[in-house]
Amino acid sequence: MRLTSILLLLAAAPACAKAQNLQWHGYLDYRLVAGSSAPNWTDGGLGKLRWDGHGVSARFGGAALLATAQLSPELLGVASAQFQTSDRRGIDLTEAWLRYRPVSTTPWRWSLRGGLFFPAVSLENDGIGWTSPYTLTPSAINSWVGEELRSTGAEFRLERRGRSMSVEAAVTAFVGNDPAGEQLAARGWSLSDLVYGLGSSMREPDLAARDGPPPRRYDAFVETDHRIGWQGELTVRADDVSRLTLLHYDNRADPTTSTMFEGQRIFSWHTRFWSLGERTRMGDWVLIGQAIRGSTAIVPSPFFHTETGFWSAFAMVAREQGRWRPALRLEMFGTRQRPDSLAERANEHGRALTAALNWQPRSWLRVTGELIALDSSRTERRHLGLAESSFDLQAQLGARLVF
Amino acid sequence: MRLYRLVLAGFGLAFWLPAMAAVLNVQVLDDHGKPIGDAVVSMVASAATAGDPPALPVAQTKIIDQRRETFLPYVEIFRPGDRVVFRNSDTTRHHVYSFSPTRSFEMVVRPGRSTAPLLLDRAGIVAVGCNIHDHMRNWLFVSSAPWLAITDAAGQVRFDAMPVGKYTVTVWHPQLSPRQPPVERQLDVPADRADMKLPVTLSLLPDPRMPMDHNRMQY
Repeated sequence: MRLTSILLLLAAAPACAKAQNLQWHGYLDYRLVAGSSAPNWTDGGLGKLRWDGHGVSARFGGAALLATAQLSPELLGVASAQFQTSDRRGIDLTEAWLRYRPVSTTPWRWSLRGGLFFPAVSLENDGIGWTSPYTLTPSAINSWVGEELRSTGAEFRLERRGRSMSVEAAVTAFVGNDPAGEQLAARGWSLSDLVYGLGSSMREPDLAARDGPPPRRYDAFVETDHRIGWQGELTVRADDVSRLTLLHYDNRADPTTSTMFEGQRIFSWHTRFWSLGERTRMGDWVLIGQAIRGSTAIVPSPFFHTETGFWSAFAMVAREQGRWRPALRLEMFGTRQRPDSLAERANEHGRALTAALNWQPRSWLRVTGELIALDSSRTERRHLGLAESSFDLQAQLGARLVF
Repeated sequence: MRLYRLVLAGFGLAFWLPAMAAVLNVQVLDDHGKPIGDAVVSMVASAATAGDPPALPVAQTKIIDQRRETFLPYVEIFRPGDRVVFRNSDTTRHHVYSFSPTRSFEMVVRPGRSTAPLLLDRAGIVAVGCNIHDHMRNWLFVSSAPWLAITDAAGQVRFDAMPVGKYTVTVWHPQLSPRQPPVERQLDVPADRADMKLPVTLSLLPDPRMPMDHNRMQY
């Protein structure tokens, strides 16, 4: 029934798009997937790719619908929902926000945004519903953002625009997102375009189900400790061609608190990180580099605490004009659990190479072939009787209808 | 009588030669030899010329269209006293504005509508944007230079009837780095040339305009 509703909405959207100041965008994605990868978190395993198993299969990649409403020249409303069948079957809300941005006839401009939105971490994912225009699968950094990070709050942004250089600073205060970081500690990084939204929940590897039978699921977007988190961003743009963004995120979660979800205790993970990203255009090509470093911690009892340090970095080159748009991305990632005295620490490190070729014969059709080679090592695999190191391959051929 | 005719012809030639007018073709190319459109070529006489510069045309009103979230044309040239009208051919509202010192303004343009004519009374460059769609860019080049033209898709402009003399030619494009000095050439139009060519090579930054792409959100 839900699938029928969303398909009807998608079918009706082009007609609605003609309505003044209300626009509909969306996509419908199907894929052929081939690969050889370990069972992933959606099946309770420690695999790092969205599609696990062997052989070739046809998969539903997802569907999303996004509405933008220009309520007044200054006031913009954006809301997007997605339908997914991976890990859960249902519709969830990925974004819903209002932005007030009065026009300015001086170099200064300010805006205020309120609602549910992605932190401005990504220089890669600027598509509908946190998709990337370059690859099907985003980097490990932006896979994690799509999985666990969402701000429910208010963002104030101030820009100083110049002919050769512009600077903007933003600060956000938000609630919710207290369990964010749990998956980085329990599973580690992933390379996946499986985005989670409000109304969804995410499965963890079964190894993490220590106080109840698996599957263990949690909602990353709930408020558990009534403390306000914050993030600050500084962006410098040069010559309208390159952009450098520094961001700090701190959900200020009280690591001693917890909540119950489907009968299992979910802790508040105090998650903090720094992110630095650079994006430069060179003709029809774009170079993107981004690095992130942070930690997430819980203190479930006065006698036990644990912190997982995490880091990742990627470099990507992609063509962003024309019908054929190749992209190549190289990345590394890792986590390290502390204190070192813990008997069973969950540490990991890995690297991945992603090559994609997009073909856009029509404005409404994008065909993408993508290959990911991922080499990773995670200590917890020993508990499953597996080797710590794993090499996974995943090939996808996706057709995405977009409007 | 014969001598008289020769003297008369000599005087006539002496007056006619400086007044001879040349045709100047300016070709603007990028580093790879590809033509650059939307480059503004302006010329002023750097020394006394043998003829009068062309008279400035009467004030005009030019239309900048907005289609598929793109300003068309990308660059337009104006004389002080000209007016500009912004037309919205999209189905969504646009909020045209500029904070340029030459002319600051802001106007909401509803779908299918046009703005009232906006007077551009001062020479200078006006960068225009849309407060709703930040990726939209437009440039108004307002100049009182006697010779002023914009390159076509082949990267060419043609100036007819250039009087003999010396000129400073300036070429501007919105994708020239603002940190670079102006691109200027000194040009000598001699009396014995009827057809001249001036090649100019520019190093441009990438085009900041992103074409409308359903795969990305541009808000």
